[in-house]
Amino acid sequence: MAALLSATCLLGLTVAAPAHAALGGAFSSVEADRAHFAAKLSSRSAATYQVHTLTLSNDMVREYTAANGTVFAVSWRGVARPDLHQLLGGYFDTFQSDNALRGGRRARRPMGVSRSDFVVRTGGHSGAFWGVAVLPQAAPAGFSASDLQ
Amino acid sequence: MIRRLCVLGVLLLLAACGGGGGGAAASSGSGSSSSTPPPALSNFVSMIVDNGPASLNTGPNAYTSDDAAFVTITVCAPGSTTNCQTIDHVLVDTGSVGLRLIQSDVTSTLLSALPLETDSSSNPVGECYAYVDGYVFGSVRQADFTIGGEKVADMPLQIIGDTGAFSTVPSSCSTGGGTNLNTVQAFGANGIIGIGVTTTDCGSYCTTSGGFAAATYYDCPSAGCSSIITRASAATAPFQQLPNPVAAMSVDNNGTVMTFPTVPNAGEATVTGTLYFGIGTQTNNALGSATVLTTTNSENVNGPGLVTAVYKGASLNESFLDSGSNAYYFVDSTIAGCTQTGFSGYYCPVSPLSLTPTIEGQNNVTASGAFTLYNAETIFTNDYAAAPGIGVNPNVGTSLQPYPNSFDFGLPFFFGRSVFTAIEGRTAGSATGPYFAF
Repeated sequence: MAALLSATCLLGLTVAAPAHAALGGAFSSVEADRAHFAAKLSSRSAATYQVHTLTLSNDMVREYTAANGTVFAVSWRGVARPDLHQLLGGYFDTFQSDNALRGGRRARRPMGVSRSDFVVRTGGHSGAFWGVAVLPQAAPAGFSASDLQ
Repeated sequence: MIRRLCVLGVLLLLAACGGGGGGAAASSGSGSSSSTPPPALSNFVSMIVDNGPASLNTGPNAYTSDDAAFVTITVCAPGSTTNCQTIDHVLVDTGSVGLRLIQSDVTSTLLSALPLETDSSSNPVGECYAYVDGYVFGSVRQADFTIGGEKVADMPLQIIGDTGAFSTVPSSCSTGGGTNLNTVQAFGANGIIGIGVTTTDCGSYCTTSGGFAAATYYDCPSAGCSSIITRASAATAPFQQLPNPVAAMSVDNNGTVMTFPTVPNAGEATVTGTLYFGIGTQTNNALGSATVLTTTNSENVNGPGLVTAVYKGASLNESFLDSGSNAYYFVDSTIAGCTQTGFSGYYCPVSPLSLTPTIEGQNNVTASGAFTLYNAETIFTNDYAAAPGIGVNPNVGTSLQPYPNSFDFGLPFFFGRSVFTAIEGRTAGSATGPYFAF
């Protein structure tokens, strides 16, 4: 039974792995991101979710998966922002449109998204950037935004 | 219009150079009644906080600049004293590194005489560089660079929005997100001079392949830029990466001092300050009694230039001083936000609010970062370009507040004081960079 389950999981990973799309995607997209970035992957379990850390050079990306495997949050830090098209997947276009310059008073502000179902915070300065993206409605019970590191 | 501004820039430059030393950056207690006049100093340039390049205030997205400090620089074709251009409204940024100019500001006569830096394939080198609200892409060229009385020969600089092989931004650059800041209006300046705490703009990160980020250098054959390449990190000739222009100077190359007078609470139409090159290298840039707060260095996992701000009991360990930020950026959901259109995210306290963050260096030394926060809607009624106490909450719009680990002390913090920025590995006064001191 255990062997059968493993085989099924492996098959699932192989078949379901999308080209990209981490946030909101299945667990398999974590591996797709690891391959995309050619990064090292380590995983650990928290109370109600798992944390998968991708590291490469001095950069780091973390992906957070719920019990059902859905990636409900990602975070990053590094010299520059990582490939957010890869990490945010289908949410990238919303991220871009919510951060388009609109004229008027010009604050050199960090980018962000403040929607009920999609929240992004970024910050830093050139050479030292960080950020988090969260799907609040996909986050498991007991998850706190302050858990993101 | 650019020409007229350039003339003004020259006048400003001349005025600065004729000052013979201006005001001392920090009171060093040296006597001033000597019978022999001291040699004229030229290790400085005037800064102005004004409405910015005229082209900002045109078209449907018209605006004027606020709380941004500009200098005038001169670039020449290498070895030439005649094919030169003086460019005003170059943003002074302690939060980044490297000289970058918007292509449309550079005359075709000069641009065509600025050699393209080439890589091991003899192809031109392009660069992608990220800012907190977007990115720039363009060529890397060499120029003889002059600011105040300081010069750097054959210095690499970026021409943002350059044409030809550089006209298409590689997808690995744009996927870092944000706006392509390739026009003066989008960028908010004619260029930027990044004088942060590192000696080059990418350091060891770009000397080996790897890393997630789209930082940075590209191989650019005529078909366009696509492959990311490594570039050596040298702050003296022969250069490859963009150097910190101050680190590349032959003297006064250990850091900078930014000095501004106090700005009234109600703001001012324009404010003039002085940017000194070097720390403790001349009679006008002594560290004096300033408190040295060392920062993280290039090897830190969180990046260089970071200190800890302690704000309302929370230790925010990814904080920094950044002259290129035009406000205090910090998270405090207890302070009222502005409600008028165009003021989203700005703080609008009912009455002036005294805030008392302390700033702690990596050396565990602390200094007060206290300031008074004002109502942005009220302050900006006059459309003044310089206003103290302007704050922005980057987390506006939702109760979810992840990651409040940073307090960005922007240009308003620089008013009424001298802020020293010492470069990594360089001895500057009684301490070694990287550090901030004030």
